[in-house]
Amino acid sequence: MFGWARQRRQLVDEIEEHIALETQENIDAGMSPDEARRAAQRKFGNVPLALERSGEIWGWYWLERIVQDVQYALRGLGNARGYTVTLILTLALGMGAVATILAIVDSVLLRPVSLPESKQLMLLYAEGRREGTGVSSYALSYKQIDALRRYVSSFAGVGAYNTLVRPVDTKSGTKMSVVTEVSTDLFATLGVKTRLGRLFVAGDAKEQVALVSDEFWRDELQGDSKTIGLAIRVSGKMVTVVGVLPANMRFPQGTAEPTVYVPISLNAQGADDYMMDSGSTIVRIRQGVSKETALENTQQIFAHSDEKNAAMHNQLRMVSYREYLTGDVQKPLWALLGAVAVLLLIACANAANLQIGRAASRMPEMEVRMALGASYRRLLQQLITENILVSLVSAALGSLAAWIAVLLTRRAYGGQFARFDELSVHPPLLCAVALLAIVVGTAAACGPLLSIRRQRVARGAAKNVTRRSKLPAILVALQVGLTCVLLMVSGLFLRTFRSLENVKPGFDPHDVTTLVLMPKDQHQDAQISRETETRLLHRFESLAGVESVTMQTALPFSSYNFVLDGTTEVVGRPFHDGETAHYSMVSTDFVRTSGIHLLQGRSFTQSDESGGTLVVLVNEAFVHKYLAGRDAVGATIHFHRNPGETDADIPFAQMMTVVGVVENELEGGDLGAPYQPMVYIDYLHLPKESLLSMVFSMMAQYAVRSKLPESTIAAELRSAVKQEAPEMAEMTLRPMEQGIADSLKQRRLALRLVGGFGAVALLLSAVGMYGVLAYSVTLRRREIGIRMALGSSRTRVTGLVMRQAGAMVLFGLIPGIAGAWAAGYAVRSFLFGVKTLDPVTLAGVALVLVAVATAAAFMPALHAAMVDPMETLRAE
Amino acid sequence: MSTRAPKEELELLQGTLDLLILQTLAFGRAHGHAIARTIERRSEEVLQVGHGSLYPALQRLLKLGLIQAEDGISENNRKARFYRLTAKGRKRLYVETSRWEKLSNAIARILSPLPEEGR
Repeated sequence: MFGWARQRRQLVDEIEEHIALETQENIDAGMSPDEARRAAQRKFGNVPLALERSGEIWGWYWLERIVQDVQYALRGLGNARGYTVTLILTLALGMGAVATILAIVDSVLLRPVSLPESKQLMLLYAEGRREGTGVSSYALSYKQIDALRRYVSSFAGVGAYNTLVRPVDTKSGTKMSVVTEVSTDLFATLGVKTRLGRLFVAGDAKEQVALVSDEFWRDELQGDSKTIGLAIRVSGKMVTVVGVLPANMRFPQGTAEPTVYVPISLNAQGADDYMMDSGSTIVRIRQGVSKETALENTQQIFAHSDEKNAAMHNQLRMVSYREYLTGDVQKPLWALLGAVAVLLLIACANAANLQIGRAASRMPEMEVRMALGASYRRLLQQLITENILVSLVSAALGSLAAWIAVLLTRRAYGGQFARFDELSVHPPLLCAVALLAIVVGTAAACGPLLSIRRQRVARGAAKNVTRRSKLPAILVALQVGLTCVLLMVSGLFLRTFRSLENVKPGFDPHDVTTLVLMPKDQHQDAQISRETETRLLHRFESLAGVESVTMQTALPFSSYNFVLDGTTEVVGRPFHDGETAHYSMVSTDFVRTSGIHLLQGRSFTQSDESGGTLVVLVNEAFVHKYLAGRDAVGATIHFHRNPGETDADIPFAQMMTVVGVVENELEGGDLGAPYQPMVYIDYLHLPKESLLSMVFSMMAQYAVRSKLPESTIAAELRSAVKQEAPEMAEMTLRPMEQGIADSLKQRRLALRLVGGFGAVALLLSAVGMYGVLAYSVTLRRREIGIRMALGSSRTRVTGLVMRQAGAMVLFGLIPGIAGAWAAGYAVRSFLFGVKTLDPVTLAGVALVLVAVATAAAFMPALHAAMVDPMETLRAE
Repeated sequence: MSTRAPKEELELLQGTLDLLILQTLAFGRAHGHAIARTIERRSEEVLQVGHGSLYPALQRLLKLGLIQAEDGISENNRKARFYRLTAKGRKRLYVETSRWEKLSNAIARILSPLPEEGR
């Protein structure tokens, strides 16, 4: 570069000298000095060209050209401010959106969890288990976990945990809090170090000790450094805090719930108090051992162990801890990335159209430059430089926007979604965005270049009345198509949302308040709890303004549901493996309070209690699956026991008689979930010492139907609890309809995001269409003038523009619908109650697009109609 | 475009100019204007586009190492840049001249030239 600068100066001197000598010669030959100089210059020819060609020989010139091009581009863009601002905003919008979602995908889905060698951490679970009784499909029994610990050589560590919600007393009062029971080796397996104090050690299993999460330490213990050794009461039992976990350790869900960790207390048989499979299992695979080998190894151990394990061995699955954490957000994030990619494409098409318009207005300039000796390649380089410059500025703005958006997302959702507290824009991502900008810039430059080339070729035919370009129209059609895709997806989401809102939850949620209570002392005698809960039920029933009350272990939209998934056999029907039903305990007034329809038979009555057999209600799904073609009412069912299984395996052997059939009722918080076969047992009629009764008395969920205002009924219920059962802690108290709204929160967020993208896309398309039509009318002024002079009416001229707009929409809609169908298929798992290609949504989207196109075409059409034919003819 | 090696094979028209420059320098060193003058005297055609095209050609030859440049004082006592042939340039001139002669003889045999002689 500097070498060439010196050489160039030398060359300039040399050329000056050359011309001076020539001038001198001319003077000597008798010319006047002025004339002599002019003649010498003429003879020499183009000085800058000679310099440029000389530079090319040395290969230095390209750098100089880039500097020149950048300066030229800056000047040119500075002169066309409106154009530049529009272009940069369009591109920054597209790239900012892509960068934001990319940053989230990168931080959440791609980066390893911030634990040492976190790729080796796996969650081990049994898939689709249909045997015996379990808390969740993820859980194993502690005996099984102990076997893993002992016999599986592929594991460097095995840890178990079980998440509960329990009342926790600290100095600041009693609060319901997440209490996670962990095996003492869990944190060592994860590789966590404490922030204060120590982790659990092997001897802690029988000790009254606890660890707390950073959130719990800050919120409940005021972040006191003297926390270690402090005593807190966890569900009635005093425990000593021995350590505080670091801030980024949000185990197991990755969310910011204040959490207390206590050692799992196992009895002599190695089972916990509930006698159920309740341990979620985390394993650390040894270095160098693959996931497949480890799983095979585990299955082998299970297959050669006792009968129960052997039956389970091929249901064992492993999923990485990261995937387990982020499984819920994985699909939505990829879908969002797809949506923003479409948005970026639309922005690019818009940018290309803006540039084509500008290139057309610069044609005279280009022609002059070509006439002065600029090659096509030179013009190309200059245009691409300008484009890349614009793209890079847009990318910088977009990245800034993404950075802010990511910061806001982290602040808003950091505690709600797993790993969202780790959100940040990493440097490799910025490089990717810069690269994307260069690609986008080069791609967007292709449009104007093609148009310049075509116009240059057609220069000879410049007398043509109409100069029409097809490319902008194609780009607009592309935008319309892509917008159609985004709008279709938003429409499908909207329809899904509406269908979910209209789902009949079985339970009529209107005027129902739900109250969840739990004994503060977890080790309180089950019989006492049961009596207290029954007493409260009757007390609630007697409150003024309360129509009816029911207790239910599973209420729609409650997060404290407790459902038993048990193998079920119908007497007189052969049993098949894997036939289970969900069991929910309810109180006598269940049918009346819930408003659920009784389809056959009768409801529970007070007199059932004295009867010998246990009476139950079943739902439609149960009848459909197990009692099809039989008399449902009067059928007898029981828990199925395999030969040799005893009370210890299946703890409940009583016969149950179906007395009625009710409609399906929503079980959990997911409105779109399929209905499971369900058996309702009257809780009060269970034998008092039965294990089921004991398990179910650990928590009480009441649903109170009342026409009283929300706050009044809440206050009444609270005061009743205070008087009647101060030993019960309140977990939640809210109207059931609020639960529905909360359960739709995530869907609403997705709907808003995709709908927002759709709106932006629509706006960009409208701007693009307006630009192209306006430009086309300008180009066609002569044609329009001549048409009008020859007798065309203003209406027909308007029609001309409208037809052009119509053609663009039509040509966009056809591939757009195909694309929408593909997109609908891709997001089908998010849809509920609507087909992937819904005709109603499609008609709506088409209508919106046509309306927007009409609006966009209105001004250009008006301009076309106002062309004065005289003016045009005069110009001819 | 940037760092492409200059072509070893000389293009016909360009080569003619290159060859003429080498030929001119065979008689001793000369500055740009003098070279242009000499070539102009010998062949009006080649420099028709203007003296300007001489300079890229000089740069090309410099890069190929066929000539070298040095500072000196021109005939009317002004600072000027003089070019002279290198040994490599002299050899190249010999090779190219004989090739050129062979070629022009061949062409002459095929086309009976019009009886017009360059000045």
